[in-house]
Amino acid sequence: MAEQIEATTLIEAVQLFLAELEPELSGRRAFHAKVAQNALAIVARELAQAPQATETALLTAVMGRNDDLDLLRAGLCADLRAGAKGEATPGLIDALLAVAQAKCAVDNPRYSTFKRLAAATTA
Amino acid sequence: MATPTPDHLAALLGVPVTRVEQLSGGASSATYAVDAVHGDATGSPWPLILQCAATGAVPEGGLPRADQARLQQIAYQAGLPVAEVVRVLGPTDGLGEGFIMARLPGEALAPRWLKLPDYAAARAALTGQCAAVLARLHRLPLASAAGLALASGSTAEGLARMFANYRRFGVDSPVFDLAFAWLRERVEDRPATAIVHGDFRSGNFLVAPDGLVAVLDWELAHLGDGHEDLGWLCCNAWRFGLWDKPVGGFGDRDALYQAYEAAGGGPVDRTRAHLWEVWGTLKWGIACLQLGDDHVSGRLRNVERAAIGRRVSEVELDLMHLLKFGSL
Repeated sequence: MAEQIEATTLIEAVQLFLAELEPELSGRRAFHAKVAQNALAIVARELAQAPQATETALLTAVMGRNDDLDLLRAGLCADLRAGAKGEATPGLIDALLAVAQAKCAVDNPRYSTFKRLAAATTA
Repeated sequence: MATPTPDHLAALLGVPVTRVEQLSGGASSATYAVDAVHGDATGSPWPLILQCAATGAVPEGGLPRADQARLQQIAYQAGLPVAEVVRVLGPTDGLGEGFIMARLPGEALAPRWLKLPDYAAARAALTGQCAAVLARLHRLPLASAAGLALASGSTAEGLARMFANYRRFGVDSPVFDLAFAWLRERVEDRPATAIVHGDFRSGNFLVAPDGLVAVLDWELAHLGDGHEDLGWLCCNAWRFGLWDKPVGGFGDRDALYQAYEAAGGGPVDRTRAHLWEVWGTLKWGIACLQLGDDHVSGRLRNVERAAIGRRVSEVELDLMHLLKFGSL
């Protein structure tokens, strides 16, 4: 173990704190406390799953060049706006579907479309 | 701007008011429950809703509240299920832009009426009721809304406006750009032909155990293609997880289209309705960007707005499902 208290441990500790606080809150603040706990869960999943590495690998293949993720995204968007790439570009739809799945796995793995696609893959 | 008090509202309405309670308030609007008493001999309760702009102004792209109230009244007089408007606020009323309408009994929280057993009969009736409302609304002559500041424009102009809105946030989403390209390829440029509600979805219905009580929130009404309302109603975001019931989490598309045609709404072009569903999904995605931008820009910094920005990935997944499999 590199650290006694890893980043994920801190996240869990703050989640615990928010859960303690929740019964004392009402209305908008209670709602925001729930949202805050959910936001921390997103951060924890992002640290564990590194979706940006997945996206970088997939977009590198689509663009045929190495670059950092922001530049790969901007380059692909520019190509799509200019019509240089589109729905008929080989591999593009599958790559963007895989990127969207990797992001949704972090942001909301309970989302209906995410669960649907996961069930279709395992079926 | 003053916070509304019972005395203030009693003076405006000319009847006794016993309670004013804020129900919700966002960056742009505030809603209050108002308990008034009828001025007649019966003295019976008169439950009302006051809706006014929290900052005294309307949000960008929304209908001025006086026009929203007038349109709601036009819909009411045409026999549509909407709350009757009883008073439009004027500049001397001291509450900013807004109006007072009837407070009708019913459940507005879609996750409740979509899931609770008590509302089974409502869910069974809703597809037909939604179809009938839309058929009637889309049949209203454009002239009936003359003088109201309803946005208008062709479908191509609408798509260009939505793209400009997307670019305002400086975010590059390849999925959104692919969806724009997909739509540009397919959307025919059509002039506006109908009054469109603009936000006709499960979250904007007031529902009783036996069915639809009222259609709420006419703020995004505009002139356009009636198919827009049909497509928006079917977007996955308003199904609340009940994805196998494409109409708002309670119905089937074919039943909706057939009921719409039977109610005189005119023939439904299935392909066009599908295009509007993709369009609506993309539009919701851009709305998520906009809500996230509330936090990033500092306009409204809070955890709820920051978190909703992450819902963009739900929309990206829905769009890719639509583009890959042809439906959702």
